[in-house]
Amino acid sequence: MAEAIVKQAFDLEKVSSQSENDLFYFVESDSVSSEKITALRYSYWKSVFRIFFKKKINWFLLGLFAFILLMSIFFPLIFPYDEMENVINTDSYFLSPAVAMSKYGVSLKWLLGTGPVGNSIFYGVWASAATSIALSFVCATINMALGIVIGAVWGYNKTLDSILNVVYNIIADVPYILIVSVMVYIIGSGFFPFVIALTITGWLGIAYFFRTQVLIIRDREYNLASRCLGTPILTVVKHNILPFLTSVIMTILATELPGYISYEVFLSYIGIGLSAETPSLGQMIERAQTGFISYPWAFWAPVTVASAITVILYVLGQNLADASDPRTHM
Amino acid sequence: MANKKSSTPILKIKNVDIVFGRGRKEFKAVSDASFDIYKGETVSLVGESGSGKTTIGRAVVRINPVRKGYITFDNRLINGKIPEEEKGQFIKALEEELEIASSMPDGGAKVAEIKAAINTVKTGKITFKQSRDIVRKIQMIFQDPAASLNERATIEYIISEGLNNFHLYKDEKDRIAKIEKIITDVGLLPEHLTRYPHEFSGGQRQRVGLARSIVMEPEFIVADEPISALDVSIRAQVLNLLKKFQSERGLTYLFIAHDLSIVRFISDRIVVIHHGKIVEIAETEELFEHPLHPYTKSLMSAIPIPDPILEKNKELFVYEPDKCHDYSVHKPSLVDIGNGHFVYGNEEEIANYKKIRG
Repeated sequence: MAEAIVKQAFDLEKVSSQSENDLFYFVESDSVSSEKITALRYSYWKSVFRIFFKKKINWFLLGLFAFILLMSIFFPLIFPYDEMENVINTDSYFLSPAVAMSKYGVSLKWLLGTGPVGNSIFYGVWASAATSIALSFVCATINMALGIVIGAVWGYNKTLDSILNVVYNIIADVPYILIVSVMVYIIGSGFFPFVIALTITGWLGIAYFFRTQVLIIRDREYNLASRCLGTPILTVVKHNILPFLTSVIMTILATELPGYISYEVFLSYIGIGLSAETPSLGQMIERAQTGFISYPWAFWAPVTVASAITVILYVLGQNLADASDPRTHM
Repeated sequence: MANKKSSTPILKIKNVDIVFGRGRKEFKAVSDASFDIYKGETVSLVGESGSGKTTIGRAVVRINPVRKGYITFDNRLINGKIPEEEKGQFIKALEEELEIASSMPDGGAKVAEIKAAINTVKTGKITFKQSRDIVRKIQMIFQDPAASLNERATIEYIISEGLNNFHLYKDEKDRIAKIEKIITDVGLLPEHLTRYPHEFSGGQRQRVGLARSIVMEPEFIVADEPISALDVSIRAQVLNLLKKFQSERGLTYLFIAHDLSIVRFISDRIVVIHHGKIVEIAETEELFEHPLHPYTKSLMSAIPIPDPILEKNKELFVYEPDKCHDYSVHKPSLVDIGNGHFVYGNEEEIANYKKIRG
């Protein structure tokens, strides 16, 4: 430290002995170098994933979700499951894990005991989880795609706006559950009829939400500029509107994905969901509800898996929505 | 640039009323505005905030519809409706053009275009094809360089947006060449093409805005306060670019501004507008030497003088329409008092103005 000060004093002495001409000289003005940008290149999606994977919780939840997904896809393939295999043995109904294992021998199958028809809860949970995850992804994809495209055009087109507003006001006044249950009664209760029931009006609310978002950014000056350049509406929607809505889309997706799992569980629970031959978490809960104190394993296992999937999807979705907001990219 | 001026106006604004809202909420932003812009000149539109400058500019690029009157560009109707009594004169002019075009060996496309234009004069309806043609020929530069660029698009996309819409290039190579040429013309670097608008300074962004208009090779540019949002040190750069493009490409500008010192530097003629009414039109030096309308005088007296003593002792001329004019008996109108100088006033005032000027 002291050495540095001494050195500086010495330099100053040397400097003061020089004439002004040696100390100052004219620099050439360089117009090119003043235009250069030294900041690192910015890439939107790279920044999104950088922020997303910086959080440890996201790695953990992704791992957990991957585990649930792999189990639900491959477990039923490796161990084919027939829930009616013990139906003739009435003494196999609602056995606790310990009793089931002592009766049938130690096996993964009896890890969570048996259900109301002597079925394996452990096998059942994975087979049902596959249905729930597939249902939520199919419904969310259809509803989001329809909702975003129609919502964007809805916000942009004045004549379509007045028509769709009337349609929305009529349909939004009818409870969604009622529409879904009526649809299930009309077209049956398999997997795909259920998807149709959930998507026939499900996109309308999302479209309405996006219509409002589009209205907010529609009249910004850069959209006016695009109009002056003669850009067609669809290109404006694709390049000027949707990129601004990525984080909003992620937020909606974060609530939509777990939402359909909840719908399935709820509707199966009240008895109008998926048909009996499609394994589903809602049905497992419904069949075990009578004994959820005396046979807790049959009730809490599907409840836990359903909750785990919804919470994981919701938190992951929210964190992705946060990461896709460019204000967090600094 | 007066020597370049041709005798026929390229843009004609006639008796234009622009009204927002309907019924009781109606608001007349511009009333009975008329002026011509000749090819190759720069006309400035000056006035205070809310006087209707931007509204007129946006009517020219057809964002605002015209309620009454009409705007023509190159003798083609672009906004509003031509009244019955003037239709004949327009059709006559177009038919003369048609004769010349049809005598040319490869004038087929032009003949069809003129026939469509005649039809437009008759019906007042602008076809999709005509509309696209107008969009390409008339471009706009916006006031706020930050708000007028799409934040989520690269500079390359922003500049080539217009080129893509009209397919104004032969192949991909040609497109890249055009973009790189224009970006170096506005003093930026080709390496900026992959960058996003938020990485640029205000002056650089405004030059990007300029580049995306110029690359369309327009004939007419509406510059809506293009330098108001910029740092004083950057203003000259953008103004010089505008002048450079004008002399290189023979562009015509409608320059909207409120800073009179800049207006004096850039424009050939000045249109003064107050509360939606045009009060004075004259060539730049004529207007600065002989401001006649009291509102123009008040604007002139508001120009800051770069001398603290003079500035402090300056007497400001305040314009109060109720005290200055008595329009209860004689109604005012925009009258030519000679030297290409138009002033808004009634008979008595005009006589007075002529005396002062004469």
